[in-house]
Amino acid sequence: MSTADKPVVESAQHIRYAFTEEQEQFRTALRRFLEDKSPPLEVRRLMATAQGYDPAVWRRLSEDLALPGIHVPQQYGGAGFGMVELGIVMEELGRSLLCAPYFSSAVLAASAIMNGATEEQKRDLLPDIAAGLQLATLAVTELDGNWDPRAIRLKATRAGGNYLLEGVKSYVVDGHTANLLVVAARAADRDIGLFAIPADAAGVARELLASMDPTRKIARIEFKAARAQLLGDSEDGLNALSRTLDQAAVALANEMVGGAQKLLESAVSYAKMRVQFGREIGSFQAIKHKLADMLVDVELAKSTAYYAAQAAAVEDPEWPAIACMAKAAASDTYVRTAAETIQIHGGIGFTWDNDTHLWFKRAKSSEVFLGQPNYHRELLMQRWRV
Amino acid sequence: MKILVPFKRVPDPATTIRILPDGSGIATDNVKWVINPFDEIAIEEALRIKERLKTGEVVLMTIGQSNWQEQLRTGLAMGADRAKLIVTDKPLDTLTIARVIAKVVAEEQPRLVILGKQAIDDDSNQVGQMLAEILGWPQATFASKLEIEGDRCTVVREVDGGLETVAFPLPAVVTTDLRLNEPRYASLPGIMKARKKELKEIPIESLGLDLTPKLRVKELKAPPKRQAGRKVGSVQELVKLLHEEAKLI
Repeated sequence: MSTADKPVVESAQHIRYAFTEEQEQFRTALRRFLEDKSPPLEVRRLMATAQGYDPAVWRRLSEDLALPGIHVPQQYGGAGFGMVELGIVMEELGRSLLCAPYFSSAVLAASAIMNGATEEQKRDLLPDIAAGLQLATLAVTELDGNWDPRAIRLKATRAGGNYLLEGVKSYVVDGHTANLLVVAARAADRDIGLFAIPADAAGVARELLASMDPTRKIARIEFKAARAQLLGDSEDGLNALSRTLDQAAVALANEMVGGAQKLLESAVSYAKMRVQFGREIGSFQAIKHKLADMLVDVELAKSTAYYAAQAAAVEDPEWPAIACMAKAAASDTYVRTAAETIQIHGGIGFTWDNDTHLWFKRAKSSEVFLGQPNYHRELLMQRWRV
Repeated sequence: MKILVPFKRVPDPATTIRILPDGSGIATDNVKWVINPFDEIAIEEALRIKERLKTGEVVLMTIGQSNWQEQLRTGLAMGADRAKLIVTDKPLDTLTIARVIAKVVAEEQPRLVILGKQAIDDDSNQVGQMLAEILGWPQATFASKLEIEGDRCTVVREVDGGLETVAFPLPAVVTTDLRLNEPRYASLPGIMKARKKELKEIPIESLGLDLTPKLRVKELKAPPKRQAGRKVGSVQELVKLLHEEAKLI
């Protein structure tokens, strides 16, 4: 059967195609907060620290804006909104490159707990994460950096009422500062389950890794007979993990388009200001073409990312496929936009003093984070049953 | 304790202001409007007083057109309880504004009126003082610290050469300085709640005031553009230029 024979998107009647007035107002407040608290100078200061974030800013982000629990239901201490609002947050965080353990704690770990934990575990774990008091992260990838859950080898062996974890996780976002680790592990050599373990538990050793993108810290975590709690009633947590990674892909796509938009604005602004051969470089056709192509590129990626968030919010049947599309599109766009922004800045674009490299590095790290674009395109094809 | 916070809508400080060709005002297309930053500090302080006392009401007010509701909603999203918009499309001078606020004070009967020391657009720094005079209430301007105990208020003021502490009975008028606090940001739950809070529009004509301005803005002019610098070859040449051209020495 060819792809033309079957509907690709079955039902989109409940999807909104615009943000509400309140959502726009929220974006304005959030952007103002981030412009105040996360200017490039502050990003540079924090990326040079091992901790990688400012606890005072994290506190205000949690207390004033209630961001860590924006998508967490109210009965678990969250604000009770959904993927669209989370997408707005991510887009603005990507724009400002805020150095904070938001993606790890609020997006990855909180979603994994919401998707995989029992009611009692959710009531126990989520309120502190939603309030920003507990920093959590999700450990999926191992030494090969593969985001495909089938590649997970870390063992979880039943020991009384708990499980003992044995193995290594790597490239764990904010793994060095999180207090709580949610670990994807293979139980009884078969099923992939989700396990929760305090980061300071016996048998857990953490090491901050050097990485190209210092604005998002990653760590290697070694587990040696570390005692963990199974999340949920069953050792089979694959569906919960897949759903979490899809939600994270939507969030990351929105973060990436926020960064790409910021780069585009920076390129346009420089092209209007930089004078060469007696006129602004933006008046040269070669630069105009570049900027026009960048605009189209960013707008398409944004539309996909927004659509993915709206589709996920209403549980549209196609949303996991759209999540893959959004992640792949945003990855390509972000890297292209960053490269072109450096080109438009000319010689200064290659310097440390110019801020473009901060977003370029984030673009490159986001490209592989949660899986490369090809991996997501392959997943998209599988989900479309092509 | 009921606290009234009058505020003004001003262009976003990050906005580049363009003056109209005839000098009659500023071009308002593409201007983003925000609550005057000093007034935002006043809203924050009112909310903190209410939170400290665990009782009371924070009422916002502004004077302007119907579309100024957006800034009132922002204040409500920060946590204020209700808002009043005195509707007019006429430009008002500072004395008239103080009189309008005094009318609202007479109706609301707050124990404290707290507002920014000045608006960042015209920097008049007059309304708070005029309001206190009209009401016959004590006033403390340029507050950098504010404490309320019972029916008395203590304010630390930033004055030339140091800090001055004044204490006075309520009701009173206080104007805020920059260092009083750092205003909170409106959260999404706050924004959603604000939609349901009372926002009353009152036509200015219903207040029965003479709105004829006593002050008229004749013309706005942009400051002269900075000239490019010039390199001189020697100290002698510099001294000659300063003497003959700049006439500074």
